[in-house]
Amino acid sequence: MEEFLKQFFDVGFMVDHFDEVLDGFWITVQLSVISGTLALVWGLILATLRQMPGKALMPVRFLTIAYIDVFRGVPLLLLILIIAGGVPALDFLPESVRLPEWFGKPDSFWFGVLAITITYGAYMAEVYRAGIESVPPGQMEAARSLGMNHGQAMRNVILPQAVRKVIAPLLNDFIALTKDTTLVSVIALNEVVLVGSDIQSETFNSSALTLGALLFLVVTLPLARLVDKLIAREQSRFTRGAPRVEAL
Amino acid sequence: MEGSAAGEAILSLRGVCKRFGDLEVLRGVDLEVKRGEVVCVLGPSGSGKSTLLRCLNLLEPPEEGDIHLEERSICKGPGSGTGEQSWELDFVRQRVGIVFQQFNLFPHKTALENVTMAQEKVLGRSKSEARSKGAQLLERVGLADKLDQYPERLSGGQQQRVAIARALAMDPQVMLFDEVTSALDPELVKEVLDAMRELAEEGMTMIVVTHEIGFAREVADRVVFMDEGLIVEQGPPAQVIDAPREERTKKFLGLVLEH
Repeated sequence: MEEFLKQFFDVGFMVDHFDEVLDGFWITVQLSVISGTLALVWGLILATLRQMPGKALMPVRFLTIAYIDVFRGVPLLLLILIIAGGVPALDFLPESVRLPEWFGKPDSFWFGVLAITITYGAYMAEVYRAGIESVPPGQMEAARSLGMNHGQAMRNVILPQAVRKVIAPLLNDFIALTKDTTLVSVIALNEVVLVGSDIQSETFNSSALTLGALLFLVVTLPLARLVDKLIAREQSRFTRGAPRVEAL
Repeated sequence: MEGSAAGEAILSLRGVCKRFGDLEVLRGVDLEVKRGEVVCVLGPSGSGKSTLLRCLNLLEPPEEGDIHLEERSICKGPGSGTGEQSWELDFVRQRVGIVFQQFNLFPHKTALENVTMAQEKVLGRSKSEARSKGAQLLERVGLADKLDQYPERLSGGQQQRVAIARALAMDPQVMLFDEVTSALDPELVKEVLDAMRELAEEGMTMIVVTHEIGFAREVADRVVFMDEGLIVEQGPPAQVIDAPREERTKKFLGLVLEH
């Protein structure tokens, strides 16, 4: 038992390495927030493109669907390796793109951001789509009958309702994204997992990784509770007050 | 609405056909509506009444036939083949307002915002202009104290009156009503019909698809009876409702007036 606690929960060891691990986790947080924000925006763009009306825009819809299908089907780890290994070799790109070191972050950070945004943009596009399709068709008809064009109707009527309905599932995806940022450790980004596992291989003690896990929980558990709360709130919208005709 | 314009045909339909797959919903409808006229459309469910309204504001563009609004053709008829562009969407929707059976209010907006949104986005009115127009219209339909309420806090009858105000805010020349009291509890029907009656008295051109025979008899200038995608009979309410000539009209009225 003592052996077990020393291996995974050595408090003194955690205190000694706390600053290193926290630095790594700070990278994880930055990576999550930046890719999460970009994926939220990119997903919304994809979902909107997918809903464009008319025959002329068929190719746009087709390409969007193909993109979403492909990048939901490809493992993120693979994409990270492809991008990190491939992009620097593309000589026709300017160096600031091949080896981006923007805002004092290493290129591995930005390759991670790119890979995560590409993958999670596809996931989130599907979440937005579910939201858009859950808005009753009468809403679009009402907006169009008042003279709004498709874009105005989407912006002012459909999307505000759709996004409200999918905030909880989007947040779920964001939690998953946060955990998946650890995959960027394979291209030597000093985030929390790489820091912890370096310490583990030097000291044969896993407590630094356990500490990393605990830091994750500090972030993800409140988010999970928030998701529950949002879902409960959304459900109560439909069960109180006058019956809502669209909900029948 | 002004006296000088009365009598002129604002809307005229010729041979309008609409299909959904194999189902022929409209099979050649001819209809003329004069400025300021109130036309009530009666008929059994599935007779094409609602589809007719939805053709009129191009929510469901007809496949054949022609519709003229203010002397201008709003559909190029069959075989024009240029897709959505051949439909005069903006022209039509800025002149024709519609109120739906299910209200279709925007649930994330207050009553007032429901009425101001399209004024600002489509007509480019300023916020204050839209608000004062919106408040005035909501007051007119008896909802002066509900401006800041969200639709879910309103009764069905109140929601439907907001929907009427919302359509009126665009200054339409023609108002379409698609079974607007069918989703309402019986005690809420009157407040909506009263708002419509007032509108009719003010001279609005209205096409009203309804099952409210009493309303049609009292308010309509003309009653149109439809069945199986065709206009079977039309004329003043006293004639069509009280002394129908066609068998199908008699049968339908017999069924709805019995209870």
